[in-house]
Formats: sequence, C-alpha cells, structure tokens
Amino acid sequence: MLPAIMLDNVSLSYHSMDGETKAVSELSFSVSEGEFVSVVGPSGCGKSTILSMLAGLLTPEKGSVTIEGNIGYMLQKDHLLEWRSIRKNALLGLEIQKKVTKEEEAYVDMLLKQYGLWEFRNHAPSQLSGGMRQRAALIRTLAVQPDILLLDEPFSALDYQTRLSVADEIGKIIRKERKTALLVTHDISEAISLSDRVIVLSARPATVKNIYEITLSTEEKSAMKAREAPEFREYFNKIWKELDVHV
Amino acid sequence: MSNGKTPKAISKEQQSYFKNIRAYRRKIKWTRWILLLLFFVLWQTATQLKWIDSFIFSSPIGMWQAAVELVKSGILWQHLAVTIGETMVGFLLGTALGTALAVLLWWNSFLSDVLEPYLVVLNALPKTALAPIIIVWIGNNVTSIITVALLTSVVVTIMTVLEGFCRVEEEKIKLIRIFGGNKAQILTKVVLPDNVPCIVNALKINVGLSFVGVIVGEFLVAKMGLGYLITYGSQIFKMDWVLLSVILLAVLAALMYQMIVSLEKRILKRRNQ
Ligand SMILES: Nc1ncnc2c1ncn2[C@@H]1O[C@H](COP(=O)(O)OP(=O)(O)O)[C@@H](O)[C@H]1O
Ligand SMILES: [Mg+2]
Repeated sequence: MLPAIMLDNVSLSYHSMDGETKAVSELSFSVSEGEFVSVVGPSGCGKSTILSMLAGLLTPEKGSVTIEGNIGYMLQKDHLLEWRSIRKNALLGLEIQKKVTKEEEAYVDMLLKQYGLWEFRNHAPSQLSGGMRQRAALIRTLAVQPDILLLDEPFSALDYQTRLSVADEIGKIIRKERKTALLVTHDISEAISLSDRVIVLSARPATVKNIYEITLSTEEKSAMKAREAPEFREYFNKIWKELDVHV
Repeated sequence: MSNGKTPKAISKEQQSYFKNIRAYRRKIKWTRWILLLLFFVLWQTATQLKWIDSFIFSSPIGMWQAAVELVKSGILWQHLAVTIGETMVGFLLGTALGTALAVLLWWNSFLSDVLEPYLVVLNALPKTALAPIIIVWIGNNVTSIITVALLTSVVVTIMTVLEGFCRVEEEKIKLIRIFGGNKAQILTKVVLPDNVPCIVNALKINVGLSFVGVIVGEFLVAKMGLGYLITYGSQIFKMDWVLLSVILLAVLAALMYQMIVSLEKRILKRRNQ
C-alpha cells in the first residue's frame, strides 16, 4: 500500500532566549494508507511536535514531510466552543473551509445520528459528559472528510472508566470510516489494543527506538477484547521496558 | 433540571430555613429604605431647626420645590436628556473604539509591543486633565464633551480587551489553524466570541468613567446638562439646584449601571443556555 504519511530524516528545534530545545532529531517513519499506527514515548519527547509538523503548523528545519491526503487533527482536550451548540461545533471546520453546503450538513447530521449525539445537537457542550464531548470533537474532525487522522492523546483528559470505552468506541469509528490514523499516547495498553503498529520513541529529541507490528489472536479489533489476548502482555512488557520509565 | 431536588418533598426544616432567609432579606430591604428616609428627615429637621444653613446646605423640601419648578418649565428633562445622551454616546463610542484598537494591536504584535509603555502612561494619566486641551482644539460644544467622555474610557478598554484577547487558550487558536483557518477567522471564530464577557465588562466599567468625563466636560463648556446645572447653580448660589442635580446624577449612574448588568446577564445566559 502507498504511504499516506512519510517523515524522512526530520529534525526540529524550538528556539527561545533561554536557548535551543532539540525536539525531534533525524526522525524517519511512514504510515500506510488505512493503517492505524500509535506513537508512544516519554512525555515531553516531541510527540506533539511531530503531529504539528504533519499538520503543517510547524515546518521541519531539516528533512521532509510528505502527506498524501487531507489531515484531520484531534487535540488532547475537546475544545468545543461553549457559545456554539454541538451541531454548530461539529460544523466549525466546514465553516472555516467555507464548505458548508446542504450535502455537507446532511453528512454531519448523519454522523451525529450515527454516533448518538443527534438528540443533543442543540445542547451546549457543557451539558454533555466527557465521553460525549470527545465524540462531538471527533465528529467535528470527521466532518471535513479527512483521509488521515492525527490524534494527540485524545483520551487522556477522561477518567479511566470513560477512557476505556471512549477509546474503544473512537477506535471502532475510525476503522469503520476507513481512515489512516496516527495516534499519540503515553498509554501502552491503549496503543497495543488499538493499532496495527506501535512506534516507540526515545526521550527528547525524538528518534525511533523500535517499531512493533501488533498481531493479536482476537479476531475483532476491539480495544476491550484486545486486552484479553495472550500476546497483549508480551507486547506490553517489551514496550514498557523499551520506554525505560524511571519512577 | 436534575439537581437532585424535587419540589414536592420539602422538609419542615428546609421550609423554616427558607422562611428565615426570606425574613432576613426583608429586614435588610426595609432597613435600607428606613435609613434613606431617616437621612432626608434628619436633613430637613436640621435645616428647619437652623442647625445648618439651608442656603448653603439646601434641604430636601427645597430640592423638591426646585425639582417641581424645573419640571414645570420643562427644562429638567432637557438637562437630563443631554447628560444621558452624551454619556451613552461617550461610553458606547469608547467601548467600540477601544475594542477596535485592541483588535488592531492583537493583529499586529509589533505595534502593540512598541506602544505598550505609552498605553501604560496614558492609562495612568487622569484623562480629565486633557479636557481643557480638547476644548481648545475642538471648541465650546457637545463634541468636546463627548470626546472627553470617550477619552476617559478608551485607553482602559484597549488594555482590558487586549489582555482578554491574549488570554485566549493557545489550543483553541490551534483548533482553527488545524482546519486551515487564517488570522481573520481566528479573530471571528474564537478570539472575539471568547471575549464577549470581557467586552461587556469593559462596557460596565465605562459607564462610570464616561459619566466622569461628561460632567467635567459640562463643567467647562456646557449650556445644558446636569454638570452645567451644578456649576451654574453654585455660581448663583442656588444650592437646591446643585444638590438636586447631584442626587439625580447618582440615580442616573446607578440605573445605567444596572441596565448594563442586566444586559450582561442576558448575553451570558444566551451564550450558556
Ligand atoms: N513552543 C515551544 N517553545 C519551546 N519549547 C517547546 C515548545 N513546544 C514544546 N517545547 C518543548 O519541546 C519538547 C517536546 O514537546 P512536545 O512535542 O509537546 O512533547 P510531547 O507531546 O511528547 O509531550 C518539550 O521538551 C517541550 O518543553
Ligand atoms: Mg503532547
């Protein structure tokens, strides 16, 4: 399959009066079309920086970034705008891209119905639970029909219970919509259970330490079921050691 | 909605709690009115018993008579209308212009960095000190008064609104940029709507400031308005006029402030419904 995302020897530093912070150093990896790839790494290692470069918000100082298709980006917090209803929030991206048409609106309404937010379309974001808000944020991202989804720790603001089910649900939605996805997380279980491949990054500046192909013996890719697979623990232990978390 | 309380099941204890609160609130309200009444009664008695000279201290009855006289000649409404009009134009223009300039400074960070120390100095300067200069430049007219009122509120508006603009979460701006939004869209989709409460708050501060500007302006140039009535009255020793105007001014300022507060409530409610 064609690579949808390709980073080739990418480096980037942040510059401030306090000095230079090397965030990413000679990083290379690619993600194929339709693939679900997770990136794990210690916090502050440059994960968000990588996504910002892929989204075109930052330009690498060295190396090149290639993207085949439209990007959708999901942030850590839902950032639903409080003065807009849920439906209006879902339409935000289309509005910005000046693509609000009857068909696009119908598509958004379809997503709202399909993912259980239709009844809440006229509610303010504050009236929704954390999981529902995150779903609304996903619909806002899907509304512009991206080919590639970049997800920056999208579940970490949720409490553990909600987090499991929302991760499961959003993982299913992404597979169902057949999107290419790059998920950044520091939760190893989340990465293993959701993805086809897990990329382990080193501490800052980020370089690829290892890449794991995930094959689990559960037929269906469900975040919940995946955790029951016998291979799960093996992957977990390997990645955990690799991350070398000093407590 | 579902705040855990059902209207039917109010316990005896809860009822007596409500009752106590209501009784306390009534007491506060009545005491306030009685205090006001006492103040006027004491004032009137003091002048009638010649404890104080009503020629320089005026008296409630004297003020009442002055009010009746001014209402009958129809002139009181005109003075009131002039002051209200000038103040409204002053604080609306001040807020609008201040917000527009804040947008400009938000847009161009070079400009705002350059101008920062000047804004700080201008903000600290008592703007009424500029009134005589404005009058020399613009002339003995209403435009001068409104300009003074506008000056008192515009700088503080720029500073508070700009600060609000700069406090918008970086991640919300990122959200707009992710969708390919430009700077104008960041402004209209996030920065401005996020700062509606901040702008309404500026409006609230500006009512009071604009009154100060208008009264000082009227002291200096006006032929109409409560400020004029105050200076004119004090020059011809009609203290009834002066104190009546001051009281009307207090009532007016309070009413206008209240108006903005209820506007604020309505706006915030609509945003968060
Ligand atoms: N705008 C910035 N200016 C300076 N340093 C930054 C900036 N953004 C991030 N950094 C630094 O770069 C490193 C990587 O940041 P980030 O990509 O956000 O890490 P992660 O998402 O993996 O936690 C961190 O050490 C962070 O402090
Ligand atoms: Mg991050």
